[in-house]
This record gives sequence, structure tokens and C-alpha cells, in this order.
Amino acid sequence: MAGYEIGDGLIAVGAGLAVGLAGIGAGLGEKDVGAAAVGAITEDMSLFGKCIVLIVLPETIVIFGLVIAFMLLFVGIS
Amino acid sequence: MFGRSKKTGNYAYTVAKVKAKKASLLGDDAYAKMLMMSLPEISRFIGESGYQKEMAELAGRTEGIDLIEHATYRNMAEVFSSILQSTQGELRDMVSAYLTKWDIWNLKVILRGKTYGVDIESMKEDLVPAGRLDASALDKLLSLENDKEIIAEFERIKHVEIPPEVVNAYKAAGHLRNIEDYLDKLYYKRLLISIVPSSRPKRLFQEFIRREIDTINLETILILKMEGIRGEEVMEFFIDGGKQIDKKLATQLANAESISAAANDLAQLDFYEDIKEALDAETKSLKDLVAGMKKYHIRQAKKFSHLYPLSVIPILDFMIHKNIEVDNIRIIARGIESGIDREMIKGLLVI
Repeated sequence: MAGYEIGDGLIAVGAGLAVGLAGIGAGLGEKDVGAAAVGAITEDMSLFGKCIVLIVLPETIVIFGLVIAFMLLFVGIS
Repeated sequence: MFGRSKKTGNYAYTVAKVKAKKASLLGDDAYAKMLMMSLPEISRFIGESGYQKEMAELAGRTEGIDLIEHATYRNMAEVFSSILQSTQGELRDMVSAYLTKWDIWNLKVILRGKTYGVDIESMKEDLVPAGRLDASALDKLLSLENDKEIIAEFERIKHVEIPPEVVNAYKAAGHLRNIEDYLDKLYYKRLLISIVPSSRPKRLFQEFIRREIDTINLETILILKMEGIRGEEVMEFFIDGGKQIDKKLATQLANAESISAAANDLAQLDFYEDIKEALDAETKSLKDLVAGMKKYHIRQAKKFSHLYPLSVIPILDFMIHKNIEVDNIRIIARGIESGIDREMIKGLLVI
């Protein structure tokens, strides 16, 4: 396409990988944390609040991926 | 990668569940309180803790010590069964294999009961339907007339065969020792065969079971030695498969003149420190020795469950703690009912 160089395309692929791989990693982490949280909550409902905090902790990894993707797309590689 | 829990097991879910259950077990202070109570107060106390459902269900049918004993075992069976229900894959296989010991326990209770003419209701109080034999299978065993039929039915359900020489030896001796020993050995033999150490969780499980065999073997050897029994007679009770105590060491220990003479051999073992005091010639006591071994077993389970949090060990750790809690409640209730000195009851508890 006119106006775009191959480098721009590679940056877009990099941004996609940063978000996608971080999402997969977070998903794998959340899988076990979520299962453990459900196990604990079934026994003791008072643990619900603490479990929710623990479940969302792996989600931070996706935010790192998202930040990298934004930096790639909008700040660029200098 | 994504569907691995179905094959290997849902460790995170089950371990979190048992950890939450473990947090609600009775603590040291609860036992101290119970020691100060009368039997009806103990019933009320445990009825307000984790045994509420069973105490309420059985309160109409039994009372006093019978109610406590029946409710505690029923609760333990339900807790263990619920854990088994929530497991998957190879974790389920491991938990199920471990729980088979309650099938052996139930058969022993029924055989003992039938031998000594105990009524069915009293036998039911001591049954723990946590293994593969459910309540209906146990009812069928209870309804059978004699030990021959019971053994035949058990063999049929569990696909085991008790050799005729064991049954004949039991008949000749008139007591159940031979069959009970055979069943204990068979349980550990089958358990070890069923664990193929192909993955890390299975290797851990195998190591834990082998250590458990060590504690049982040493306990047997030392108890018999304290009673003055030595040599071949002791080795009849030896269970193969231990981690530290092999047949050679066990024979050395069994043949030693006295416990003090075996001290050098014992000193090589991991758990020597835990039982050293109980073995001391001055204060030598069977009660302390058994308590020492039990405490070692608990500590071992606790250590392993901290080292390997996502394995089968935290589940076994909980099961051991739950079993000890139930035993402690029953010891307190039985002791108080019989009017035993409270300090003596306290000494019998494993805390």
C-alpha cells in the first residue's frame, strides 16, 4: 500500500504480538489462580474479596503488553 | 497446555479447597477447652463447629458418646468423599488409591465386630465410608452372617484374594491378626504398584507413602521390642517398600538386644530426633513413642506440603490432620466419659 513501509508493518506485528502473548500468559496465570480462588470461596465465602484481588493480579501483565504496543505504535522506535 | 488439568489433575482448585478446610480445623486452644467440658458440653461444642450437620442428623437416633463417635467418623467420611469428588485426572487416581485404606479399615471393623458379636449399629459407629466401598456396599457386608461370607464378598467387590493359608491361620489362631496384617501389607503393596513415578507429582506421592511405611514399620518394631518380642516374630509384621528402613535394617533392629542397643542404627534415620526422648531408657513409654511417630508424620506432611504446594501432598496433609482431629475428639470424649484424669487424656492427644 502506498505511504507505508515494511518497517511500519513490522512495528504493527510487534504491537500485536506484545498484546497477544501477554494475554496468553495472563490467561495461563489466571487459570490456576481462578481455580484456586473458586476452591477457596466454595469453602469460605468471606475469602471472596481477597480472591478477586488475587485473580486480577496476573492481568497486570496484559497492561504491560498494552503499554509496549502503544509505545511501538505511537512513540515509535527511535 | 490448555486442557492439561483433565489429565494431570486440578491441583490449584483442590489444594485451595483443602487449605480452606484445614484452616477451619480445631486448634490447640479448642482441645484445652474441651478437656474442661462435660460430655454434653463437648457435644454442643463440636455441634457448633464443623460437625454441625452430622450432629443434627444423628441427634434423634443416638446420644452421648455414641453420638460424638458416630458423627465424627461420618463427618470425616463425608469430607474425604467431597475432596475425592472435586479431584480430576491423575490427582483423583492418587487420592482414591490413598483412601482405599478406609476400605481395609471398614473390613477390619466388620470382621472384628462379627467375631466378637457386636451389634450392627455399634459397628456402624466405627465405619468410615470414605473409600471405594460406599454405604450400600458396607450395609451388604454388615448384613452377612459370618466372616467367610464377608471375606468372600470383600474379595468380590475389591478384586482382591486373601490366600487360603492366611484365612486358615486366622481360623487356627482364633484372632484376626493374620488377616489384618495381610490386608495392611496388601494396601501398601497395591498403593505402591499403582503409583507409576512418571511425573513429579507421582514421584512426590510415592516418596511420601514410602516415608509413611517407614514410620509404621519403626513403630511396629519398637512397640514389639518394648513388649519383649524380637527377631523373626517382629519381621512378620514388616511392610515392604519403605524409604529408609529396608528389610536388612529392619532385621538388625528386630534382632537387637534392646532399644538402647539399636540406638546406633536408629540414629541414621531422619526421624531419630523426634523419637529420641521417647526411647530414653529412663522415660521409655509406648504412649510417647507413638505420639512421637505421629508428630513426625504430621511434620513431614506439613513440610512436604509447603515445599510442593501444587501437588497431592497438601491434600494428604489435610487428611492426616483431619484424622488426627477426629481421633483427638474421640479420645477426649471417651476419656471424660470413663472418668480418666484430664492430664492423662491430654497426654494421649496428638497436638
